Amino acid sequence: MSGQQYDLAVIGGGIQGAGIALFAQRAGLKVVLLERDALARGASGVNAGTLTMQMTRAALIPYALKAHEMWLNASQWLGHNVGVVACDGLSLAFTEAEEQLLEERGTARRAAGAPISLISATEALKIEPGINPDIRMASHCSIDGYANAYLTGLAYHRALTESGVDLCEYTPVSGVEQVGSGYDLRVPNGVIHARQVALTGGVWIEPMLAWLGLHVPIKTLVNQLAVTERAAPLMRTVVGIASGLLSLKQYPHGTVVIGGGWQGEGSRVQNYHRSTHASTVGNARLATHAIPALCQSRIVRVWTGFEAETADALPAIGPVPGFPGLWVCGSAHSGYTSAPYMARCLTQAILGEEPEMPLFPIDRLLARPDAAPRNKEQDCP
Amino acid sequence: MPGYSMNDTYDLIVIGAGPAGAEAALAAASLGMTVVLIDEGPAPGGQVWRAPRTASAKDKPADTDRARGDDLRARLAASSVDMRPRAQVWDVRQGFLVSCISPQGACVLSAPRLVLATGATERIIPFEGWTTPGVFGLAAATALIKSEGALPGRDIVVAGQGPLLIAVAAKALSLGLRPRAIIDRAGYGDWARALIGFANVPSMALQGARWMAQIRLAGVPMHRHCEVIKSSGRDGLSGITVRSLTTGATTEIAADTLYIGNGLAPGDDIHRLLGLVQQPDRLRGGYKTLCDADRRSSLAGLYVAGDGAGIYGALPSAVQGRLAGLAAALDHGALDAARHDAEARPLRRQLARYIRFADASCRLMQFPVTALDGVTEATIICRCEDVTAGDIQQAMEDKARDMNQLKHFTRLGMGPCQGKMCSMNAACLLRRQADLPPGDLRLTPRAPIRPIEMEQLIGTFDYADIPVPKPAPL
Repeated sequence: MSGQQYDLAVIGGGIQGAGIALFAQRAGLKVVLLERDALARGASGVNAGTLTMQMTRAALIPYALKAHEMWLNASQWLGHNVGVVACDGLSLAFTEAEEQLLEERGTARRAAGAPISLISATEALKIEPGINPDIRMASHCSIDGYANAYLTGLAYHRALTESGVDLCEYTPVSGVEQVGSGYDLRVPNGVIHARQVALTGGVWIEPMLAWLGLHVPIKTLVNQLAVTERAAPLMRTVVGIASGLLSLKQYPHGTVVIGGGWQGEGSRVQNYHRSTHASTVGNARLATHAIPALCQSRIVRVWTGFEAETADALPAIGPVPGFPGLWVCGSAHSGYTSAPYMARCLTQAILGEEPEMPLFPIDRLLARPDAAPRNKEQDCP
Repeated sequence: MPGYSMNDTYDLIVIGAGPAGAEAALAAASLGMTVVLIDEGPAPGGQVWRAPRTASAKDKPADTDRARGDDLRARLAASSVDMRPRAQVWDVRQGFLVSCISPQGACVLSAPRLVLATGATERIIPFEGWTTPGVFGLAAATALIKSEGALPGRDIVVAGQGPLLIAVAAKALSLGLRPRAIIDRAGYGDWARALIGFANVPSMALQGARWMAQIRLAGVPMHRHCEVIKSSGRDGLSGITVRSLTTGATTEIAADTLYIGNGLAPGDDIHRLLGLVQQPDRLRGGYKTLCDADRRSSLAGLYVAGDGAGIYGALPSAVQGRLAGLAAALDHGALDAARHDAEARPLRRQLARYIRFADASCRLMQFPVTALDGVTEATIICRCEDVTAGDIQQAMEDKARDMNQLKHFTRLGMGPCQGKMCSMNAACLLRRQADLPPGDLRLTPRAPIRPIEMEQLIGTFDYADIPVPKPAPL
């Protein structure tokens, strides 16, 4: 590996990096994918796996719709199973304020192309009899679903290996330097040279860009999730609440995953994150309020992972200004849903083609030159 | 937080009311500290000094364990220790904040000092059919004998290794249940070597000798240096296959119940959650938590005692517990250094003698490095999720090279036991692979450390009181 020359080096083995590496290798480039841990074990492997429009930002709906289609056809382009299930999605309103939120957000997302409609409590209960009959109304989306995020690593590992990508797990990159018409990457046992480089490190995109003297602030969220024991069928849709602070679905094997972006605590610098008592209880309360039968279940595990967010909460996907052949892809927001399609679009750009849909260049996010990069990375609150 | 009483503050929290935790609590409370003692069980005593539950168990003549347990329970009842039985700890934060649920609801207890006395978990070398109904752990058998005064099964076989093997066989005989066989991984030589260590605690050595005599007198067939490699029966056990570790010859034995155990490992979930410094301990099994002679761990204000920090057995655990309680009192200012020294010094001496006994026991219980070498592809490793050795092999071929990735690839450890039963066995299999990254082969520790009942966790609440932050940007 060390001393080798590649057409493309991808740094960060999450779902974005794995997708880019896969598509680029298949298009004929010689690709190395470098991951300091194991493949897809950060956000890509520990997120809630929801493939939903109802939590996606309106501006990203067109991308999410394309990606949703890709997820359903994963057997064709990925060739391996990530446990994708397509189903209806419901977002519930229990208060007047939540009704208003549903109307406002449903309208914007519908305008962006998501097949979302507002339905009465009676209609919602017909679709999902397990929900709390106290609901006032719901928004319904016929395009929703979920994947088994923890299978991401296995599926991509097989696909990457089959495609011939040089996959280097447990291989941290400690720096990137522009050399001639390409880049040198420092790895534990030497240097790798690549014509092009994609930085796909999730929340670590900020320190990666700092290697090149650029400063793009990336906020680190610590999202918390819980899962119940296997239970008899309780629900068949993806259920959320208008505030977005809940996502619930029951997997075919019976476990119910409870998410919604409740915040744990952690630090990107220390690579440490864990759940908090308050979020565990709050999230569980919201979940049991939405699906009362969950009261009879047991929570088996609670875990956390980092989510990356840019200053305007839109993705950082595109060329790195001033560094030809250097690309960045991350902070996609509802990133898991959109990831395969975002990776496809960026790969098109890397190959010198016009991307199917516009990228999200990071020029807008670069801190002004007089705002020198902070010496010390800041932790999330 | 609404619905939670956060005002339960103490000088000291002790988790685990076995010999270690109870003695720690008693020592600290006797010196004027306010102490709360939390335990999952209905009464103090832990596993070894467990209280009888049924009339038939209470009517049995009290053995030494029972007598020690009764004495402990009487001393606790007479003390100022605040007892929290049937309470499940599910999270512990530095500081210390201990999240519990119990039939009375959820609570968070706080104290500047914490003693962890969390006991041990039993290990079983997996074999084809070990999850068949009718297969029990040896430790489970002792728990049943102590609390119920009975053991299920008619045609029972007792198998595995270590002193528990002899204890369970002898106690089964006392209940009128004659084992069809005892299958011991150890040979004569192993026991002979252990005798030297056992001699350090004559009362315990004598008890062991009595058990052995009882077994010999009853004429129970003893298969030495043998292991169980298979059990048959679909809905219930019908028989086992035994293989000689010396000759490889196999024997079939009919049985409806198998009691089997291959040693213990520390129950160190909280230790790991708090990031205490540990190190692998081949002799005692699992990882031991490092501490000083007075049981102070690597984290200030946190003391460890008993099998949760390294397997030593009940008597040494009680001494360690007392040392931990005294150290907490010293650090708290409830005891001066001179008196602490006077109290602690004889305890440390006593412990040194016990340790030679404990080491001999541990050597007999030691989980063999080669234990999983003969495991067949069809053998279940993770019983919660039915993950077999073959599934693990496939995951290794897919380049799972650490425990968390193995979990993702196979669901191993995702069930209700959270990997407590399977993760060490899975690590044995994973370790065969070349090219492993540095680091321990362990799953990431996480709260809740046990499955939690949703109803107890959420308590009573109003929807309007759930703190909902600003919604994500549209």
